[in-house]
Parts: sequence; C-alpha cells; structure tokens
Amino acid sequence: MTFNAAALLLLIAGLALIGWIAGRARSNLLAARAQAKLHSRPQYHGWYVALWLFAPAALFLAVWSAVSPGLITNDVLASEAAKDLPAFGFERGAILSDARNVAQGKQDAVRIPAAAPLVAPYADATHLYAWIGIGAMLALALAGGLYAFTRIKPDFRARTRVEKIVMLVLLLASLVAILTTFGIVLSLLFESIRFFRLVSPAELLFGTNWAPTSGAPQDDTFGGIPLFWGTILIGAIIAMIVAIPIGMMTAVYLTQYAAPRVRRWVKPLLEILAGVPTVVYGYFAALTVAPALREFAVMLGIPNASTESALAAGIVMGVMIIPFVSSMADDSINAVPQAMRDGSLALGATPNETIRQVLIPAALPGVMGGILLAVSRAIGETMIVVMAAGLSANMTANPFASVTTVTAQIVKLLTGDQEFDSAKTLAAFALGLVLFVVTLLLNIVALRIVKKYREAYE
Amino acid sequence: MSRTTSPTDWKGGAMQARIAKRYAAERRFRLLGLLAVLASGAFLAFLLFVMVGNGLRGFTYTNVAVPIDFKAMPLTVDASRLGDADADQVIAGAGLADIVAFAADEALGDGGSAMISENAWKEVRTAIKADPELLQGSTVFHLPASSEVDIAAKDGGKGATGAKVDALERDGKLSTGIHWPFFRNADATDPAVAGIWGALKGSVLTIFIAFLIAFPTGVLAALYLEEYAPKNRWTDLIEVSINNLAAVPSIIFGLLALAVFINWFGICQASALVGGLTLALMTMPVIVIASRNAIKAVPPSIRDAALGVGASPVQVVFHHVLPLALPGILTGTIIGMARALGETAPLLLIGMRAFIGDVPGGICSPATVLPMQIFLWSDEVDRGFVEKTSAAIIVLLIVLLSMNALAIYLRNKFEKRW
Amino acid sequence: MTQDDLTISDPKMTAHNVNVFYGEKQAINDVSIDVGTELVTAFIGPSGCGKSTFLRSLNRMNDTVAGAKVTGHIALDGEDIYAPSMDVVQLRARVGMVFQKPNPFPKSIYDNVAYGPRIHGLAPNKSDLDGIVEKALMRAGLWDEVKDRLGESGTALSGGQQQRLCIARAIAVDPEVILMDEPCSALDPIATAKIEELIHELRGKFAIVIVTHNMQQAARVSQRTAFFHLGTLVEYGKTTDIFTNPKQERTKDYITGRYG
Ligand SMILES: Nc1ncnc2c1ncn2[C@@H]1O[C@H](COP(=O)(O)OP(=O)(O)OP(=O)(O)O)[C@@H](O)[C@H]1O
Ligand SMILES: [Mg+2]
Repeated sequence: MTFNAAALLLLIAGLALIGWIAGRARSNLLAARAQAKLHSRPQYHGWYVALWLFAPAALFLAVWSAVSPGLITNDVLASEAAKDLPAFGFERGAILSDARNVAQGKQDAVRIPAAAPLVAPYADATHLYAWIGIGAMLALALAGGLYAFTRIKPDFRARTRVEKIVMLVLLLASLVAILTTFGIVLSLLFESIRFFRLVSPAELLFGTNWAPTSGAPQDDTFGGIPLFWGTILIGAIIAMIVAIPIGMMTAVYLTQYAAPRVRRWVKPLLEILAGVPTVVYGYFAALTVAPALREFAVMLGIPNASTESALAAGIVMGVMIIPFVSSMADDSINAVPQAMRDGSLALGATPNETIRQVLIPAALPGVMGGILLAVSRAIGETMIVVMAAGLSANMTANPFASVTTVTAQIVKLLTGDQEFDSAKTLAAFALGLVLFVVTLLLNIVALRIVKKYREAYE
Repeated sequence: MSRTTSPTDWKGGAMQARIAKRYAAERRFRLLGLLAVLASGAFLAFLLFVMVGNGLRGFTYTNVAVPIDFKAMPLTVDASRLGDADADQVIAGAGLADIVAFAADEALGDGGSAMISENAWKEVRTAIKADPELLQGSTVFHLPASSEVDIAAKDGGKGATGAKVDALERDGKLSTGIHWPFFRNADATDPAVAGIWGALKGSVLTIFIAFLIAFPTGVLAALYLEEYAPKNRWTDLIEVSINNLAAVPSIIFGLLALAVFINWFGICQASALVGGLTLALMTMPVIVIASRNAIKAVPPSIRDAALGVGASPVQVVFHHVLPLALPGILTGTIIGMARALGETAPLLLIGMRAFIGDVPGGICSPATVLPMQIFLWSDEVDRGFVEKTSAAIIVLLIVLLSMNALAIYLRNKFEKRW
Repeated sequence: MTQDDLTISDPKMTAHNVNVFYGEKQAINDVSIDVGTELVTAFIGPSGCGKSTFLRSLNRMNDTVAGAKVTGHIALDGEDIYAPSMDVVQLRARVGMVFQKPNPFPKSIYDNVAYGPRIHGLAPNKSDLDGIVEKALMRAGLWDEVKDRLGESGTALSGGQQQRLCIARAIAVDPEVILMDEPCSALDPIATAKIEELIHELRGKFAIVIVTHNMQQAARVSQRTAFFHLGTLVEYGKTTDIFTNPKQERTKDYITGRYG
C-alpha cells in the first residue's frame, strides 16, 4: 500500500461529485417539502457541498504528500536496521533510495546489498503513513461534506457562499505572481548575502579579475567587470547593431509600404523566427556562424580570433531579437495617429520623408521603450552565449575574440560538481541578483515609457 | 487681378532635379526596407537549410549485413525463459555479444566487429525474443554500423574507413534505412542507438505539468485583474509583478527553482515535476497577459446585458465573458507553452542536463527534455551526434511550428471584430 | 469678372464626371464642378454624402487609401492631375489641405511651419526660411501669439491655435489651392470666428474649398456653394442663390433643416 496522490485526488474528486449530486438533490427535496422557493439554484447547493468536501481534503493531501516521505525516512532511520548505514553523503542516499524503490515496488530487487535490510522497515513505514494519510483525508472529506450537507435549507444562500469562494480562488491565483516575484527576490537576496559574507560586493561589482575556479579556493577571485563588459558587448552592442536597424526597417516596410498580401506572408515568417528556440540559435551560432567568422577574421589577420567569438553570439542574438524589435516598432508606428501621416503627405512629402521626419520621431518614445525591452532580453539570454560565446573572461573590444557573459557564468558555476554552499555556487546567485536588478530596472523604465506614450495618443 | 501662375516655379529645372533626387531617396529607402525583410527571411531560410541538410541524415542509418549461424555458434539459453521479464539479462548472460562480434569478424574480415555498432547485438537480441526459432538456424541480420562507418558511408566513402566502406558497398553488404532506434530510445553514448524518445517523453510530461499549473492559475488571475480587482495598491503591485515577470530572463526562474524547489522543498531533482513547476512559473505571466487582452476585447455591452437580466458578477464572467474570451486565451496559452517547450536555460540549473539513459517512468524520475537533449548532443565529440543534433532540432521545430500554426489558426478562425 | 458671376471663365480646378470608389462601393457618382481662383467654394451636405471623399480626390489624398479608385477628369490649371506625368508630391504642394482635427506634428512651432518648405527646398538659406515661416504665421494670424515661443512644441498650443498652425503649415509651401475639411468642427465659436476671418483674408491669394456642416458658416465665408447628397452633386451655384433661392427641392429641405 503506497500513498498515490494522483489516485487519491481522483478519489476525492469522485466523492465531491457524489456530494454535488447529493447537495443538489437535497435542496430540491427540501424546497419541495417546505413548498418554498430556493434562494439559490440547486446546483449551487451542489457546488457548496462539493467544495466543502473537496477543498479541505485536497489541501491535506498536498501537505501530506510533502511531509510524509520525510516522516517515513525518519521512521526508517530510527529503526534497528539503519544503524549500519554510512553516516553521510552519496552512498547513504543511494542505499536509502534503493531500499525505498524496492519497498514501493518500483524495482524488483535491491541493487546495493546494504539496502536489503532496510526494505522491510521502509515497507512498514510506507504502509503505516499511507493508512494514516488516507484515513485522515477521508475523515476530513466526510466531515466537510456532512457539515455542508446539513446546512442546506431552501433559504440558504448557497450561491453567495460559492461565489465568495470563487472570488477567493481568483484572488489567490493572482497572488501567485506576487509570490513568484517575492520568491525570486528573496531567494536571490538570501543566497547573495551568504556570498557577500565571503566576498565583498565591491569586488563583484568593480573587480576586474574573474577566476572563480582557479583550483585553489583561496585564489578564487570574483571580479565581475569582465562579465558585465562581455554581456554589454554581446547583448547591448553587437546584437542591437544587428537588431535595431533591421527590426526598424522591417516594421517601417511592413506598416508603410508592403501590400496586405506581403504582410500576410511576412508576419508569420517573423513569428517563426521569434519561435525558434534559443538552443537552436545557439547551435547554429556555434556550428555555422562562429567558424565562418573565425575564418573571415583570420583572413583579415585579426589577432585572437576565436571560434567562440563575441561577434558570432551577438549577431545570432541580434537575429533572434529582430522580430521583437520589429513588432514593438510596428505597434509604436501604428499608434501614431493616421492624421499625422496624412498631414505630412498632404504637404507633398514623400512616404520616406513622412516616415523619417514625422512618424519615427512621433513614435520614438515607444520605439525607445521597445529597444530597452530588447536589451533586457538580450542580456538575459543564456543558451546562445553558453553555446557560442565561450567562458573566458576577457576585457576586450575585439569582437572576434572570446568573451563571457553573466548568464554563461551562472550556468558554468551551477552545473559543475561543487558543494551547494561553496562560494562558486553562491556567486551564481549574486550574479543572478545583478542580472535581475538590471533587467528589472530596464523593464520598469521601458514599460513606463511605452505606457506614457500610448496614453499620449489615446 | 487674378493670379494664375504660381510664384514657385515647379516646372523649373532645379525643382525637377530636386524632385528626381527625392524620388531616388524614396526608392532607396523602400529598397532598404525590403532588404531588411529579406535579411530576416534569408537568415531563417539559411538556418532551416543547414538544419535540414544536416538533420535529414540523422533520420537514417547504415546497416551492415551480418550472417549469424546459431548452429555453428549455439546460444545456450532456455527457450522457455525468453518470454520472461528478465529475458534481456538471460540472453546477455549467455554471451550473445561475443557471438555477434565473432560473426562480424567472420563476415567482414579483420576488424569486422569494429565496423558494427557495439550495441548491435541488442538488435539481435530483440529479434530473438520476437522469434526464438532464429536460434535454430542461420540468418542474415542487418545490424547498425558503427558511427564511423555510418558517417563514411553517408559521405560517400572518404578517409581511412572509406576504403573499407567502399568494399562493403561493392559487396552489397550495406543498406540504409530509417533509424528506428532514434525514435524509440533514450539518450546513449553510442549514436547508433541514441534516440529522442526519452527526451520527447520528458518534454511532454514537463509541459503537461506546466500547463496544468499555469493555465488555470493564469486564467483565473487574469479574470480577477480584469473583472473584479479593486483599483488599489495591491492590484498595482500584482500588475507590476506580472508585467515584470513576463520580461524577467528565464535563467532567473532556474535560480528560483534551484533555491526553492530543490534546496528548500527537496522536490525530486532533475525530474519532469520540477521542470514543469519552473516552466509554469515562467509561462504564467504570459498566459495572464494574453488572457487579459482577450478578456478586454469582450465588449462591455455583453456584461451589461447579462447584469441587466439579473446575473451575478460571477455568473456574468463564467457564463458570458470567459467563453467569449476563450479562443484568445487559448491562442496565448499555446504560444506560451510553445515557448516553454523550447526553453533550456532554467532547466540547466535544476539538474536536467545530466545524462539520462532511460525513458522517464514518471513525473518524479530523472528526465531530460528535447531542447536539453539538443544542447547535450551539440557538445558530444563523436561526429555521429552532429546529424543527430540537427535531426532532433528538426523534430523540435516541427512540434513548435505545429503549435504556433494551431495558435494562428485559432486566432484567425475565432478572431471577432465587435 | 466679378465674383458674383456663376460662370467661371478662368477656373483653377475643374472636375468632370468624377466617380470615386472604395472597393466595390461607390462614394461619388458623376460629379462635375469648377473651382474658381479667387473664390471660396463651400461643400455642404449630410454626413456620409461624400464631401470629404471628393475633396480628397482634388489633391489625390485618396491615393493613400487602399482600394480607393478615382475615374473621370480632374485638372489643375488645365493639367490632368491623374495623368501619369503629374507628380503627386508637387501636386499636393500646390493643392494644400487642412484637416478636420488639427494635426500638428510633434515638433516645434517653427519646425511645423518649416517642414513643407524644407522638404520642397523652397528656401535656399536659413534667413529665407525664417522669412517664409514668419510670413506664413502672419497670414495665418498666429504670429503675434507665438513669435516669442517658436521653439515650443506645436502640440502644446490650444485647439484653435493648432488649427491656425496647420493652416500656416499649409500656406508656407505657397499653394495655389487650399482644401479645408471641416476646419472648425473641433473648435469653439471664438476660434471658429478667427478661422473664418482668416479665410476672408486668404481669399484672393488662394483658391479655397471648404467642407462645412455649418450653414451659417458656408453662407458667411463662401461665394459658391455645392450641395452633395448620397454621392451626387445636387446643386452648385452662388452661395446667395443656394441659400435664398435653391432650385432643387432636396437642397431646400437640407438648408432649412428638414434632414441632415
Ligand atoms: N476609407 C474608406 N473606405 C471605405 N469607405 C469609405 C472610406 N472613407 C469613406 N467611405 C465611405 O464613403 C462615403 C462618403 O464618405 P465621406 O467621408 O466622404 O463623407 P462626408 O460627406 O465627408 O461625411 P462627414 O460629413 O461625416 O465627414 C461614406 O459612405 C463612407 O462610409
Ligand atoms: Mg468628412
């Protein structure tokens, strides 16, 4: 007997259905008997019973699924058989999970002999807590259901109650966003503070030497400037040099020149470009663009040409951003009132004079906001730089050389085999915090500009 | 006193030259716009061309014909056990691998066993399990070649291996067929048997979980914000949170998941469950924003009409507004899910980059996802993985494009002008 | 020639058998009209009857509407404006337009007025440009109000000032005809009076065509009035005749307010 949360959820859903039918029937019955008119339609009484039956039990189920594995393990560890377990580390974990898998029927036999004596205690504890859990859950469900059932009366305001609950659920759903934001802020802050106990914030923000894996922990340095520079070079300079002109001109062409038929074809094309996953862009950059650029650089005689060049990552990232820039610019240009365009054309301006001298200046705030959002996207982009930009922290303006970025280093620091609490892994969170703060500021400023701009033309 | 001629000499030479210049600028500008569009198109075409060019080869594989005579080299297993659950171990224990290697040496000459994949004997094993009669006679098996031979054969026989491959080719011992293991298996270190099924299933599980969480939460939150939320600072805070979350780099969600889900709650690491939770948090704001736009587009007159006949605010929303907004909500959701499906960065941080040789059994078992598989293969040194990577990309792109096409179809079909 | 003659011996613009279509839909049906050089011509008629459409076909602004098609013959100084040899950019410089809602560019007052002369290269140097701007603002009756703040944004002016700025912008390129599409409908009575005064002053220098819904306005500012109904030109004549002694029953009904 194991505790299968999904099956139990189905079980209480089934019970809730029965509760729904019963509540409905009872309200009808009572109304008929008392010859009174129901305040709420019968199905609301049904919903009332079903919710009371389902919600507490489901809540308990969630809590129980989270805590019961811990309780089981505690029991097993307290048993006689657990005395011989190695005290720490990987082996202990492996033995325990081996025994658990056998006890819960996921595996036919133990793979590690030392796990064999633990199987029986595991099975016992699993049974015990499963029964406790199921019993408590059913008791809760029945208690809730009965409570609601007895409250049904013809004049009972079931609909109001149900609607109150619905509103509560809606409110809770929208709080998830705040919760996520707080979760991000708190977890980044928490780990970063631990990092800053080891390394001063000044070193991270202003240090010029990045060597977190020098081999000897005391020699590790965490100077972030080379990463910040690499991030800016790739995301804010090279990518934007590619994305802004092409994206803007695409938007201009589509909004001002293209026939509707052309627009119908080009728009999905841009959507495809926007929908290509970043890992594909990264692979393309590393496989095709980077080697070609390196050959080109060698031909020009540029020193330090690398197959992991800032240029390759930046160009491909720029292409990735094109649809984003073009759709933001498209929106901004479209938001400029038609009267503005007509006014210019009626003076005998050509379309391109109208676009350059009237439409784009008028759309500029919106476009700027869009570009800030694009920059925020580019500097947070990970896969392209992980795959194509390399990991060497160089401070160079040579686009053919290899640089590294904040995101690439976060990945590097967290995918090795370090202890979770080492300065290296904590450094990843500190970098994450920097990245989060910068993108947050960019986003807030950009969204504010865009909003102001929209209001200006409404 | 009538003034018939204009003081500005529009027909004059200087003015005509000026006009000509302005029109030239106009044409240049227009051309520039066209070039910009073409540049995007060309890049996309080039990318697809490269991926398809490399990837199509990944769907096929070279097989080598190897006759195995089980009368000469008997495999001593109890035929009655071939149907058992542990038949694989039984056959492996009986030394089938050696028999196959020996037969390959025999048939292909010295080093013949190196020309077939080291996992080729597993194909024989599968065949034997399906038809135990094979053990009684001699059969020609078409076994997967080694990665090196496969590449040489596809390249038309170049390099050191090329000569041998040419020889095999002339003897008619090579054949090419669809590489079924690619669709059937999970990851492996040998390109001959590495497949995307494990990653595909991992992706499906992950996305399913993300959808189960993000869709209801997102839609309900959108309903609240659009229909009921009072105008106060809490609501503002929620709105700002959502707008910012939609623009937060995805890798930050990976950090959040690592710190909260894995280190605090200890949810099974590298599993579809954590992956799904992470992607759910990431997609939810997207769904909220799309849903709000769809809800906003439902005209207020419909709400007034429903309120006018005595519906409660909750009834108005669930009976009238939500059904009308649903197509728009679904479109946004599909696009959000497609984005989540192509996402790699946050999953890197929660351990999904580990090598996983098994198809995931459940939502808590270690899993990988398709984009991650692509990332992992792109790092492999074995040349056989280059085409596998591109083939996996083709599969991923097909899935994503179909999702986007579905979204566009929905949008066009249900788009209403009120 | 006095302005009270109905026959216009020397018309600035002539339109013969003009039809305008928006896709399948015909908005103007066989309209012929002459616009005199020194006259103000008013177009009146109920909403949706095609006044704006016809007006916009006089400087080919309909070209910017996808699916719009014009047939028939429209000439400026005898030159067919829909002929391939006609340059639409120059045409619009010669036939200026003022819109219903003031639409100054989000630029400074100076740059708004200088925009046209700059693109058409009408001023060889800065002082010429200054002169053009000053003269245009002067003619538009705005100079005294804005001469100290030419660098301020045009959108910061009041509605009536904005509309006069748009008129200044139009006359800065020295057009021969000015088309005005309900130029006062977004303005209060005082601003309206200013614009009407302005129209009086501009008469004689430009041929002016004005669309209006305001009968009194048409009577006050124009010498010729054309009454449109359902895409056709019902009656065209001296303003005094149209308002005191209309020949057509429909015209009479309209100006007496029977329908509108
Ligand atoms: N861009 C367009 N596309 C299609 N039909 C149009 C377009 N513009 C105007 N129409 C139609 O052409 C007809 C004439 O419109 P027009 O704007 O010329 O009327 P109007 O006389 O100026 O009206 P109002 O006094 O309200 O400004 C109307 O029926 C209108 O619906
Ligand atoms: Mg009009």
